[in-house]
Amino acid sequence: MNRFRKIYRLALALFGMISSMAAQAGRPVFLIEIRNHLFEPEQVVIPANTRVKLVIYNRDPTPEEFESYEMNREKVIMGQHKTVIFVGPLTAGDYPFFGEFHPATALGKLVVE
Amino acid sequence: MLPTSVIIVLREVLEAALLISMLGAVSGMLGLSRHWAGAGIGIGLLGALSYSLGINSIAQWFDGFGQEFVSATMQALIYLLLVSIALLVLRRTRHEDARTGSIPVLMALAVALAVTREGFEILVYLYGFSSTLSQLLTVSMGAVIGAGIGISLGVLLYYVLCHPAIQRVPFISFALLALFGAGLFSQAIKLLIQADWLPSQLPLWNSSNWLPEHSITGQLLYVLIGYEATPGAIQVAFHSIALLVLLGLAAAIGRSRALPVDQGKVS
Repeated sequence: MNRFRKIYRLALALFGMISSMAAQAGRPVFLIEIRNHLFEPEQVVIPANTRVKLVIYNRDPTPEEFESYEMNREKVIMGQHKTVIFVGPLTAGDYPFFGEFHPATALGKLVVE
Repeated sequence: MLPTSVIIVLREVLEAALLISMLGAVSGMLGLSRHWAGAGIGIGLLGALSYSLGINSIAQWFDGFGQEFVSATMQALIYLLLVSIALLVLRRTRHEDARTGSIPVLMALAVALAVTREGFEILVYLYGFSSTLSQLLTVSMGAVIGAGIGISLGVLLYYVLCHPAIQRVPFISFALLALFGAGLFSQAIKLLIQADWLPSQLPLWNSSNWLPEHSITGQLLYVLIGYEATPGAIQVAFHSIALLVLLGLAAAIGRSRALPVDQGKVS
């Protein structure tokens, strides 16, 4: 009995994961590049109250860490690689992000409208 | 303003150092040997090296969310190890003949996981500067200073927690461990939200005006208790449950009079 309950729970968890993966397909996508430790573009306008998918290309040979306190996001992106980060839903306002490894230059923000 | 290298390395080292200190204080209470610390750090350094060497392929897992998966798994495992340690300690307080031999093994595992995660970030960061020797030297210097400050703070906490007056109140060390462990668990949940495996919501509150996350206090509280200025409801819920479980165990351990173990009795 207990084992069935375990399997049932596992199936439920898997279903949750798969359904949320399917939901990912519909998210609006925004591209950001990192070049010479700068974000391009530095400002990205995204819709309010919507979950969006950021695709970040690190064109530098060196790793960078995408970080934002305002959005609770943190992810290492190796040199010459791309990564995906989901953000939102966010209310209208400015949400700064930065490259933790080069915080003096790698600065940008999401403008939520 | 400290250089970036000092801050990055300090933040990472501090987390592992605090964990080792708290576990060290607990092992002192139980009269256990502290060999697990060295073993944990050694395994963790190897883990950090393998993780950074494999990051390019790990990052591709699960459609690009391998990093979130590995990191969240390690954080959740550390939390579960802390729960298991607390349960074993609780059993030891109830039955004087209960075996404590597996506790150091679990402690070594928790430390190894923490060092793997933190060491990975430091290695990746340093790797970014490896092409120019002068840059690497400057950054490494900052890293040494950051590590020094982190380790010093850990040692300081260790001696505070090992003070006889504090050892006599086991609840203090276990409650700290509970706050720390629940914070880690909450970070794991945050990563699952980032990967879209858990639904994301609007923040439940916004305390960034009176305690910004990037302030020194905010950063310290982030490491110590998983402070978040704008958490979503799911993260708060998981954080609270994780905290209540460990705090409950801490309270149960605190109620018993069997700790600290009389050092003279330990064979």
